[in-house]
Amino acid sequence: MSVQPVTDVSSVAGSEVATEPVPPVARRSRVPGFLRRPGGVFGAAWLAFVLAASVTASLWRPYEVDQQDLANRLALPSGTHWLGTDALGRDILSRIFTAGSLPLLASVLMLVVAFGLGLPLALVAAERGRRVEGVISRVTETLMALPLIILLLAVIGAIGNKLYAVMAILGVLISAAVYRVLLGVAKSVRQRLYVDAARVNGLGSLRVNLLHVLPSMARVAAVQAAQLFGIGLLMVAGLAFLGFGPGEPQPSWGFMIQDASTHIYDAPWLMVPTGLILAITVVAANELADAIAGKGKDEKRRPLRRRRVVASSEAPPADPTAVLEVRDLCVAVDDGPQLVTGVSFSLRAGQVLGLVGESGCGKTMTARSLLGLLPGGVSVSGGSILWQGRELVGMSDPQLNAVRGREIAMISQEPMVALDPMFSIAYQLIQPIRRLRGVGRAEARTIAAELLGQVGIVDAQRVLSSYPHQLSGGMAQRVCIALALTGEPELLVADEPTTALDVTVQAEILSLLRSLVRDTGLSVVIVSHDLGVVADICDEVVVMYAGEVAESGTAAAVLDDPAHPYTMALLGANPHVPEGEPVPLRLASIPGTVPPPGSWPTGCRFATRCRFAREQCTVPFVSLAAHGDGSVRCIRVEELARHHATWDAEAVGAETAPDAMPDARPDATVEPAPTAGALS
Amino acid sequence: MLAYVARRLALAVGTVFAAVLITFLLVHAGQGSPGAVKAGAGASAAEIAQANHELGWDRALWVQFADTIGHLIRLDFGTSLIDGRDLGHDLFTRLPVTGSIALLATLLSGVVGVVLGVTAAVRGGRVAQSINSGAGVALSLPAFWVGILFVYVLSLQLGWLPATGYVPFADDPVGWITSLLIPILTLAVGGAAMIARTAAVGMREALQQEHIRTLRAMGTPTWRIRYVHALRYASVPVVSVLGIQFIALFGGSVIIENLFALPGLGQTSQIAAAGHDFPALISVVVVATAVVVLTNLLLDLVVAALDPKVRTA
Repeated sequence: MSVQPVTDVSSVAGSEVATEPVPPVARRSRVPGFLRRPGGVFGAAWLAFVLAASVTASLWRPYEVDQQDLANRLALPSGTHWLGTDALGRDILSRIFTAGSLPLLASVLMLVVAFGLGLPLALVAAERGRRVEGVISRVTETLMALPLIILLLAVIGAIGNKLYAVMAILGVLISAAVYRVLLGVAKSVRQRLYVDAARVNGLGSLRVNLLHVLPSMARVAAVQAAQLFGIGLLMVAGLAFLGFGPGEPQPSWGFMIQDASTHIYDAPWLMVPTGLILAITVVAANELADAIAGKGKDEKRRPLRRRRVVASSEAPPADPTAVLEVRDLCVAVDDGPQLVTGVSFSLRAGQVLGLVGESGCGKTMTARSLLGLLPGGVSVSGGSILWQGRELVGMSDPQLNAVRGREIAMISQEPMVALDPMFSIAYQLIQPIRRLRGVGRAEARTIAAELLGQVGIVDAQRVLSSYPHQLSGGMAQRVCIALALTGEPELLVADEPTTALDVTVQAEILSLLRSLVRDTGLSVVIVSHDLGVVADICDEVVVMYAGEVAESGTAAAVLDDPAHPYTMALLGANPHVPEGEPVPLRLASIPGTVPPPGSWPTGCRFATRCRFAREQCTVPFVSLAAHGDGSVRCIRVEELARHHATWDAEAVGAETAPDAMPDARPDATVEPAPTAGALS
Repeated sequence: MLAYVARRLALAVGTVFAAVLITFLLVHAGQGSPGAVKAGAGASAAEIAQANHELGWDRALWVQFADTIGHLIRLDFGTSLIDGRDLGHDLFTRLPVTGSIALLATLLSGVVGVVLGVTAAVRGGRVAQSINSGAGVALSLPAFWVGILFVYVLSLQLGWLPATGYVPFADDPVGWITSLLIPILTLAVGGAAMIARTAAVGMREALQQEHIRTLRAMGTPTWRIRYVHALRYASVPVVSVLGIQFIALFGGSVIIENLFALPGLGQTSQIAAAGHDFPALISVVVVATAVVVLTNLLLDLVVAALDPKVRTA
């Protein structure tokens, strides 16, 4: 026996459960959650059975525990002795269940002591702040560093073989682990908004604890209690095994196993019943803990193989000069809603295409499907992606690996987490350079330094020997771009490359991208919600809304002469103003938010938020050609163009549309809070 | 960094001191006295009082505590009340036995646990579920019962390994490892289960990191993503738990040594507890606490060395 699961409690429960305190919510059902899982039902039922059978053993046991049947010594199970007999012919069944109450009750006592100390200490430490917490934590750290079993033996050596007292002392020692886990919960609960609000409302400290902190602790405490209960059982049995249990002829699980070990030559059966009952009881406690913790639900089986989609377009590319041709691309959650439907665009070599729209419009999913890097459970469900005449949709992972890095590379939104924190920049650059360019280590290092120079890093050698956490965001993004360039790709997919950066750094990264396009002939697909970025760098633009293309065309045409109300709205909400134009006093806003996938309206998906929506907009229709090669998906496009419709800011307190549009609906704000600036 | 090490050292010394204090107080809170133990059963009250006087038991409590601490600082562990053996020498010969069992069991748990945990994280689905449930059962089995099962199968039925006994390394290295193999396997069952769960959680978390997507976007081969980058990321929690395992197995060896008749620290602590051999109890507690504290210290340094953020700070 060992005490290892104690650490299991503090580490696993501490990291997985304690960090997610469950706010008290109204019970939806009378059956607690853990009883709806098979493990929880088994655990609770078995523990209840063993406890009931043990406590009442003296009422139903077929034999007295010291009643010897010398004619039937070391007998196998039979009608008279269901679980057999020991070396003195005593009935195993009677002895096992008579022995059961001691470990069960002693473990309960240990739990009572451990929580009786650990819980109040955690509440006090969380409430009283750093000094008190520091003192209590030092003491508990010391307690947790003590060797438990050897210390318990010392306790027995000092105070004698008094099992309940020993287990109470074990409870004191274990209270340190209880304190640690519960302190984590108490602190995070106290930081939560609703407790702050409660404190402002004048609730006393006791009531804050009773109403908010304790209910949130309930689940974590229950998980830990169930785990510690199992440990207590093992501890009692282990001590009895060493001879520190109730003396003969009183039965105990540990000593019965000890006895069995001496008869392993002549009666191996003897170790089966007691060992199994003990093991099942501990398993039951752990199953109960897992069920309370709600484990097992995230173990949902992932399909090993993604759905294979046969490319639907066999036709040659519409535009022979295009390197990338996306046709009717659909992306969907496996067995779930569509995320992207029928997206089409094409890109010529050396050009920059922008995918714009609010968050949740499918821009990132579209971009990531270009590399076959959709998140787990999401896959391309239709359409085609032709890259230099080759179909990428349906390619296997190894086939795609030959394209990734060498032909198409990617830079992501969060440069600070895009690099492996465990490896130096040198390693992370040299590794792919050697693989993709087939050069030796020394040459790869030279190339790495050159690449860093190319992305505008002056002290390349210092950066090479750094680790990611030592870089600033802008520096990390430059390194990411250098990394993307290691395989000399022809297409760069940039997913919001400047969003996480400071404004000044944003401009630098954009101008770096622009010069790379100019100098190396790179094509770029850039995802952004910032129309300023798009106007700055893009040749082509695709405006996406709710998983489909709202409007597309050359950047100049779309931005100067938007045909779709959504594009107009985005432009109206854009805080960036071209030089020489007056700064508007108020920005326009788009009421409401993008509807989530699966609840898109039929017909125009923007209709629910559109100022210009009318009855006819709810009928499905196809997109129309616009801006030359581009498209626009609005049934009223001509009508709007005739009236020179614009999406301006509403005047303060305006009851009607300022520009008296036909059927304008400035009051389409059924949603509670119009998103200011509209672009989140 | 220096202040950190100093603080940790102070805490380590404090922990050993606390262990001595707790044991000392327990010994004096109990009803027995060393004189009664030394004089043996059936001794008269006068004989016991005389023995207690010779042992200094009748002095003031704080004088006795200062005396105990003073001897421990000089690494003088005293002699056993029961057989008068030199405890320092006794511990010196027993420590390697327990230490090698715990260390080898930790290494075995580490290898098996990491392989199982990584397999669970990488394969997912039913493989992951069976590894997770298997680990849950393994963690619930009492080690002394598992030990008996191993003896029954490996020793009695197959005759591959000796059931009990210990062969010193100096006498016969092969005999030494065969005599330790069943105890090590026994301890490694629970240990490997613990490591497997930690490694599985760590690998799953590692594979979900953003930088793994960067690597995939670069066309990095899958084996390199998994076994270089993700494994390196998961190494920090795994190594932490390995250290905790060593401590747990070191303590857990008490029962195993009893089961397999191995002359280690566990055996002596059981005998000392059963015989109320107070000096032996204190000396075992001091040594065990020192091992735990040193392991924790070493663990902190290793984990710090593994994490570039700490290393480069």
